[in-house]
Amino acid sequence: MGFSNRQEADKTVVEIGEARLDASQATPFRDYMFDLINQGQTQLVVDLSQVNFMDSSGLGAIVSVLKQLGDKGAVELASPQKAVNDLFDLTCMDQIFTIHPSVDQALSGKPH
Amino acid sequence: MDVLIVEDARDQRRLLCKVVGKLGYRVHEAEDGLQALQVLAAEPAIRVVISDWMMPNLDGIGLCEAIRSGQFNRYIYFILLTGKADKEAMVEGLSVGADDFLNKPVDYRELEVRLKGGQRVTELEQALDQKNHQLSKALDIVQQDLASAAETQERLLASPATIQNIGFDWHFKPSKILGGDMFGYHAVDDEHVMFYQLDVAGHGIPSALFSFAINNLLMDVDSPSSIVREQTTKAPYIRVLPPDEVVSRLNHRFQTTADNMLYFTMSYGLIHSPSGRVRLCHAGHPPTLWLRPGEGTVHRLESGGVPVGMVPGMNWRTEEFQLRPGDRLFLYSDGLTECENPDGEMFSEQRLCAALQDAGSQPMNTMISQVWSDLCQWRGGESFDDDMTGLVLEYQGE
Repeated sequence: MGFSNRQEADKTVVEIGEARLDASQATPFRDYMFDLINQGQTQLVVDLSQVNFMDSSGLGAIVSVLKQLGDKGAVELASPQKAVNDLFDLTCMDQIFTIHPSVDQALSGKPH
Repeated sequence: MDVLIVEDARDQRRLLCKVVGKLGYRVHEAEDGLQALQVLAAEPAIRVVISDWMMPNLDGIGLCEAIRSGQFNRYIYFILLTGKADKEAMVEGLSVGADDFLNKPVDYRELEVRLKGGQRVTELEQALDQKNHQLSKALDIVQQDLASAAETQERLLASPATIQNIGFDWHFKPSKILGGDMFGYHAVDDEHVMFYQLDVAGHGIPSALFSFAINNLLMDVDSPSSIVREQTTKAPYIRVLPPDEVVSRLNHRFQTTADNMLYFTMSYGLIHSPSGRVRLCHAGHPPTLWLRPGEGTVHRLESGGVPVGMVPGMNWRTEEFQLRPGDRLFLYSDGLTECENPDGEMFSEQRLCAALQDAGSQPMNTMISQVWSDLCQWRGGESFDDDMTGLVLEYQGE
């Protein structure tokens, strides 16, 4: 449940412990991420492996993280399940985010 | 504050009335429980009752029960007079809802303090009641405003129509009172008709207001500052903007901030009505479905493009294709395909295509209602978690 983070290879890996990133979780997720940014974390990797559904509100929350970071840092996405990947495909999120098949690949710095 | 003294012994009643009156309260009196109920009904200002226990007709316990049964629309603080250290009486009194007790013979200083306690409780209760009243009034206003906003939204929706030689029909159902789905169609010049469908992220009031603003901008075709065409210096003095350019302009105009999380997916198309040539741009929106009733097929027009308002400076792609008379395009919001049945299974694009294929030879309005009844059957009802929009157009040829 909820969100957690750890430092690994100079990046902050944020694990989403929720099965749905939707309207009910969008604001808590955004607030959690904004807190990390305010604490000076600027290289963020979002681990989506436990999320099996994301809607437009969830996507909006991730974009707001990008907006909040501006050019001060980067947010990358890792390990999306099929339904989330379908949403990324439909909305061409690869044009906006770097999306990695796994957290390990995100940390090794090789793009998808 | 008004206080009612209920006591069958005349002298004791008179004495109590005098004392309570001296403390500054307005006093009413009754000889027994039955008379007390009549006085309470006639005097809505009475908030505290001091009642003896043993009385003819209706005793103190019976009176307290009658008051607590809810026949008066206010809280009445009940003080029961008991014999000294009568534990059983206290338990019985509490069990029928007495608030406090006073030992007989009455100590007048104690009476004063207990009455003050009663006053505190009834004043709190009155304040709460007033707050409740204000809240429910405020809620009424909000609900009326929402209902009138929903009417505004309905008025913004284009009516089923034939423009030049293109027929339009639709079905729209917001998930709450207000939705963030919007669509429209309009002639851009004598031989071009535009159509669009969009879905603002999120639900409710912010999304709906945002969709109103975009709709106004898109549908204001004749304005000099129109976002779908521009004026030029040479004949025909109008340039109809290609769909990807319209989307880019919208993206420039509406950028989400870190706080509001508002952006939208959309499909925007333009039909050249003399030829049936279509230019169409998708921005993160579900693929448009192309029905060819002559062949009985449903063709999926690949979507693409990022949603509008996320990131500045993005580019979109316009695709072109040729409609034949009788061909239809079906645009929809993801509420349709993501509509879950009671088992949590989604309706899916596959089922939507099948439903369209089944109903494709029917007139447009029949086709739409048939698809809708399929969806409601899948859902097991008519209440949906997301806004639902289906927009169909038919190229009728020359």
